[in-house]
Amino acid sequence: MTASVRPFIAVSLAAVLGLAAAPVRKIEFTDTKLKNGLRVIISEDHSAPVFAVSVTYNVGSRDERKGRTGFAHLFEHMMFKGSENVGAGEHPHLIFANGGSMNGTTNKDRTLYYEILPANQLDLALFLEADRMRSLDITAGNLENQRQAVKEERRLRVDNQPYGRTFEVLETLAYENFAYKHSVIGSMEDLDAATVEDVASFFKTYYAPNNAVLAIVGDVDTKTTLASVRKYFETIPSQPAAPPLDMTEPPQKEERRTTIEDSLARLPRLSMAYKIPPASSPEQDALRVLSTVLSGGRSSRFYEAVVRQKELASGGVSAFPDGARGPGLFNIAATAAPGKAIADLEAAIEAEIERVKAEPIEDWEMEKARTAARSSLVSSLGSSLSRAVLLGQYALFDDNPNKINTRADAIAKVTASDVQRVARQYLVKTGRTVVITVPRAPAAKGGQ
Amino acid sequence: MRPRGNLSVALAAIGATVVLTAAIHAGRQQEPPPAAGLVVKGKAPVSNEILKVTLPKPQEADLPNGLHLMVLEDHGLPRISFQIVIPGAGGYYDDPGLTGISSYTAQMMREGTKTRTTLQMSRELETMAAGLNVSSSIAGQTASVSGGALTENFDRLFELAADVLLNPAFPEDEWNRLRTRARASLIQQRTQPGFLASEMFSKVVYGSHPAGRNSATPVTLDAIRRDAMIELHRTRFVPDHAVIAFAGDITLEEARKKVEAKLGAWKKAGTAKPGVEEPPALGPAKVYLVARPNSVQTNIVVGTQSMTRSNPDYIPLTVANRVLGGTMGRLFRHLREEKGYTYGVGSGFSATHHTGSWQASTAVRTAVTDPALTDLLKDVEDMCEMPVPDNELMDAKRAIVAGFALSLETPEQVLGYYMQSWVYGLPKDYWETYPARISEVTPAQAQAVAKKYWNPERLHIVAVGDAEKIKDVLAKKGTLEVFDTDGNPVK
Repeated sequence: MTASVRPFIAVSLAAVLGLAAAPVRKIEFTDTKLKNGLRVIISEDHSAPVFAVSVTYNVGSRDERKGRTGFAHLFEHMMFKGSENVGAGEHPHLIFANGGSMNGTTNKDRTLYYEILPANQLDLALFLEADRMRSLDITAGNLENQRQAVKEERRLRVDNQPYGRTFEVLETLAYENFAYKHSVIGSMEDLDAATVEDVASFFKTYYAPNNAVLAIVGDVDTKTTLASVRKYFETIPSQPAAPPLDMTEPPQKEERRTTIEDSLARLPRLSMAYKIPPASSPEQDALRVLSTVLSGGRSSRFYEAVVRQKELASGGVSAFPDGARGPGLFNIAATAAPGKAIADLEAAIEAEIERVKAEPIEDWEMEKARTAARSSLVSSLGSSLSRAVLLGQYALFDDNPNKINTRADAIAKVTASDVQRVARQYLVKTGRTVVITVPRAPAAKGGQ
Repeated sequence: MRPRGNLSVALAAIGATVVLTAAIHAGRQQEPPPAAGLVVKGKAPVSNEILKVTLPKPQEADLPNGLHLMVLEDHGLPRISFQIVIPGAGGYYDDPGLTGISSYTAQMMREGTKTRTTLQMSRELETMAAGLNVSSSIAGQTASVSGGALTENFDRLFELAADVLLNPAFPEDEWNRLRTRARASLIQQRTQPGFLASEMFSKVVYGSHPAGRNSATPVTLDAIRRDAMIELHRTRFVPDHAVIAFAGDITLEEARKKVEAKLGAWKKAGTAKPGVEEPPALGPAKVYLVARPNSVQTNIVVGTQSMTRSNPDYIPLTVANRVLGGTMGRLFRHLREEKGYTYGVGSGFSATHHTGSWQASTAVRTAVTDPALTDLLKDVEDMCEMPVPDNELMDAKRAIVAGFALSLETPEQVLGYYMQSWVYGLPKDYWETYPARISEVTPAQAQAVAKKYWNPERLHIVAVGDAEKIKDVLAKKGTLEVFDTDGNPVK
């Protein structure tokens, strides 16, 4: 038994702390395109008798048309309802019955499916993924059932939660291009409008082998795995390329701001989103360091000044670049402490933003940001699933799965002046959208 | 399954090989359990290879101050994590007028020591990307100090951990700040339907027993004083009955040296082993409604008391619960996959030194509260009335055992199992024989525990939702009591 990956992680962890000058050793992988256009990435790691499979489809809520918001996610649910050789629910049943885990997840930019299983069940995973890519079972009964489940998901996460609608309102206000101007979960009206024909056409257009990346990471043999992949997947016919998507977002010229009422909330919340470039932009690394300086942990500027010293926010103040493939958002959010004015909270957050632009960032803050970023990358590399997901995503978004090997170094090269520069360039009032959520009185009794 | 890499080699001498008897039905076609919401065509290739995994065992030692030391070596990664569990320092033992004081004491230990401010502590930890957490659960019997770091940084982390444990300063100004933040979260949690449901359920199942505590209240929070926290720390954060466990890139001898060097001043206090009392017997089953205006869903919890951790029913109930409310279990297949009432539904149970609780829970749109609750109760009743078909039981057992095997991949998880053994005094070979004992559960045994614990007469119902729309529905299910979101009875 080899343990080729373990030394790699040891070296890179040491590098995180600058304790060893040794360069980060690469994650080795093969990158193959099948005849039908399916991109296949295989990375061996024999440190544990487990493997992960990810299938990343190049479709997300950004591909939805008006009147069909929420459809990409509703479709994801249909992928567990059976195919030619797999019964409804049999896919999850078999994965869990054999000790594994699995799920699907949809965001603006992609739809991801994954399995983790013991090493002896590789054929099972490949069979299940291939069968539904080839021959999804599309029935009115299945659609109706999952429509109800998804509407419950919306109620659970959005309509029955305090601040549940806030982000939806923010996205709709921040964007002009429809692609990102709606939520992933979609509206009840649009979910109700989805038809079996929509499912069939979406499947044909987007769930084609030439519109997906398959990544397999773990205790597998590359050669035999690739042979199995060919056996299960290569006869699935390719399809004409999906229609091109215009992601152009007109430049924002002035601040957008609104206030909404929320009958489930008891404290007001401030949500701000600043326009930033797509995640593939070189600016992304500096923006990520900026988010650590502002909001990473209890030594961060927002926590120390706004939460601990001024006691204006309850909980924390979050600040992060959303990592969108298209025009992105740098999101900042905080809930006012009881009895504190939302205007004071906003002013305190703005003061810290202006300070990061104007005054030097200290060395320890840069060290912390480097350590945090690289440590989170390295710990994600400790899991075969994380590697499968990252390899698939970098292949799809950047056409560069090797970004998994270069990202940490890129973040380490960010300087304090880079961070100040992106703060000055992007955290500007004219490029932001602000949503203030206020409790609607009379809310639930008491507690105020 | 092959033994895993470095760990199985390093620990072969002290580990035990466990044959995963869930693979006993080698060659058997996995057939569909008799339930709607799942169609099994049986065409997918499933390997029935016999799986073997090595279950590593920790090395253990007893230290002079009463501390029990456990070490699970795994040198695969240059990382070490640790956890100190302190019986007697949990919220279970809080004065009822000061509910939450253990929890806040634990949080305050991280807010400054005799030589470090809270901000210095944050900077030191975050610049080395190390974690350090002190916590005490609101109703549990223990407090915990835990953390993890790269091997190179571990001594620095452990130094901070020892400082937090032995020298907290409880600065008055930091307590004022923490209390302000705590007040906000006491308000915020009341907006969450899940919190309201579990708060009511705990009260229903445990009554005034300490296990029924769910949160501090504004009144108890205001009553907590710095002096009382200092006294609590002095008298209850003691090593007499505590355990310290290390996992990762460390040996028993190294661990012992670190503990002696940093925790040498943690002296035995001579306190008796803290005990617990059983909760009072459950009253007759009732229905409790928390009226949450503007709810578009009803959160439902159906449940009752369970058993103690050492009760032999634990194993068959684990299997029966998996069939009913586990992943892809009957509740999920019926309420979600067949009926579309909900996004998620499941069941689970707890068991400690005292009797714990069992509950099935879900959130459904208001309009289907009645049929969803009826179906849920029917699924529970079926478990009592009919034996689980062989194939369905086999699949549940196989899923538990295979899932257990995959969970052995991380040393922290393995150590977690052994700490459970230590805390509850489970038999030495408990985890080695666990797969076999799960596999041996028969349909009759699963039905017997279902009957014993899930008898409809024992099942209390809690609902959180729009009272106007669901009050009548709930009143049909039993004697109804209604409360507002602050827990006050509503006439």
